[in-house]
Amino acid sequence: MESFLRYILRWPILEQFIQAYAWVWPLAEVMHFVGLALLIGTVGLFDLRLLGVGKGLAVAPVRRLLPWGVFGFVLCVTSGSLFVGGLWANIAVHPYDVLIVNGFLQTKLIFIGLAGLNLLAFSLTGMSRAVDAIGPGEDAPPLAKVIAGASLFLWFGVIYMGRLIVWGNLAL
Amino acid sequence: MEFLAQIEQSGLAVWIRESPSIFAYATVLAIHTWGLALIVGLSAVVALRTLGFASGVAFLPLGSFFPLMWVGFWLNAVSGVLLLMIDARLFLTMPTFYIKLLAIALAITSLRLLRNEVLGEGSGAGKTVASAKGKALAGATLLFWLVGVTAGRVTAYDAYIGWETAGAVLVLGTLLLLGGQFGARVLRGGGRAERATMSTFPSGR
Repeated sequence: MESFLRYILRWPILEQFIQAYAWVWPLAEVMHFVGLALLIGTVGLFDLRLLGVGKGLAVAPVRRLLPWGVFGFVLCVTSGSLFVGGLWANIAVHPYDVLIVNGFLQTKLIFIGLAGLNLLAFSLTGMSRAVDAIGPGEDAPPLAKVIAGASLFLWFGVIYMGRLIVWGNLAL
Repeated sequence: MEFLAQIEQSGLAVWIRESPSIFAYATVLAIHTWGLALIVGLSAVVALRTLGFASGVAFLPLGSFFPLMWVGFWLNAVSGVLLLMIDARLFLTMPTFYIKLLAIALAITSLRLLRNEVLGEGSGAGKTVASAKGKALAGATLLFWLVGVTAGRVTAYDAYIGWETAGAVLVLGTLLLLGGQFGARVLRGGGRAERATMSTFPSGR
C-alpha cells in the first residue's frame, strides 16, 4: 500500500514543470485563493441565506450561483493536486510523508470529506428539494439550518487547516 | 528605516514572527485568508449577479451581505497590519505591496459605487437587469480583486517571478474567460425551452 501511494502521489512531470518555470507554483497559489473566494462567496452566501441572512432572497434563484462555487472548487482541487504531486520540486519532501505525518493536512482533507457528506445529507434528507420552495422573507427548516451551519464551519475550517499545513511538517 | 526596524523589534511583532505557537503567525495568516474569503468572495458574487448571472436573484436583499464583507475587510486590515509589522522594512520597500494596496483601494471604491448604482435607494427596486454603468463597475471590482489577490500572493516571491506570475494569471484568466464563453454558447445551443432553464449564464443583453 505504501509503495503504491508513494508511486501515485509523486508526479515527476509536474516536478519538472515546476522546476522549469518559476511562475507555476505562485500561479497555482493564486488559483487556490481565487477558488476559495468563489467557493466561500457562493456556498457561504447560500448557507447564510438558509440561516436567515439576506432573508429577502428567494432560495431557488440563489442556487444558480452555485456553479461558480463548483468552478472555485475545481480551481482549488487542480492547484491543490499540483501542490501535492509536485511537492518534491518545492521542498524535496515526498508527499506521502507529509500525508502521513501532517495532522493539519489530514484534518483539512477530512473536513472536505465531511463537507461532501454534509452535501449528501442535504440531498438525502430532502432538504435540498425543500429549500427551493422558500420564498422571500421565509425561514428555512431547522434541519436545513443545521446543515448550512455545518457547511460554513467546515469550509472555514478547511481554510484554517489549509493555512496551517506549512507548520505541520516540522517533524520531518 | 530606523523606525520600521523598531516596529519589527516590538514585542508583538517578535511574538508573531518567532513564536512556535500555531496561534501566532499561522493563525494571523489564516485570519487574513478568512477575511479574503468574506470580502472578495461575497463581493465577487454581487458582481457576478450584476453582470447577469443567476438573474433570478433579487438585487436589494444582497445589501444584507455587505456588513459581512466589511467584517472581512476589517479582519484583513487588522491582520494585515500585524503581518506588515513583522517585516515592515521588506514590505514597505516592495513595489508589489503598493500595487496590492492600490488594487484593494480601487476594488473597495468600485464595490461601493456598485452598491450605490445597483442596490442604492434610487436604483429602482425590483429591477432584474443592472445598468451598463453597474456592469462596468462589477467588471472593475472583479478585475481589481484579481490584481489584489495576485499581488498579495506574490509578495512572497521576488519581483521578477511576481511579474511572470501576473502574466500567467492574465493568460490563464483570458483562456478561462474564452472557454466559458464558448461553453455557454454550446450549452445554449439547445431548443428555446431548454435555453430558458439555462439561466446560470447571462443572456446576450
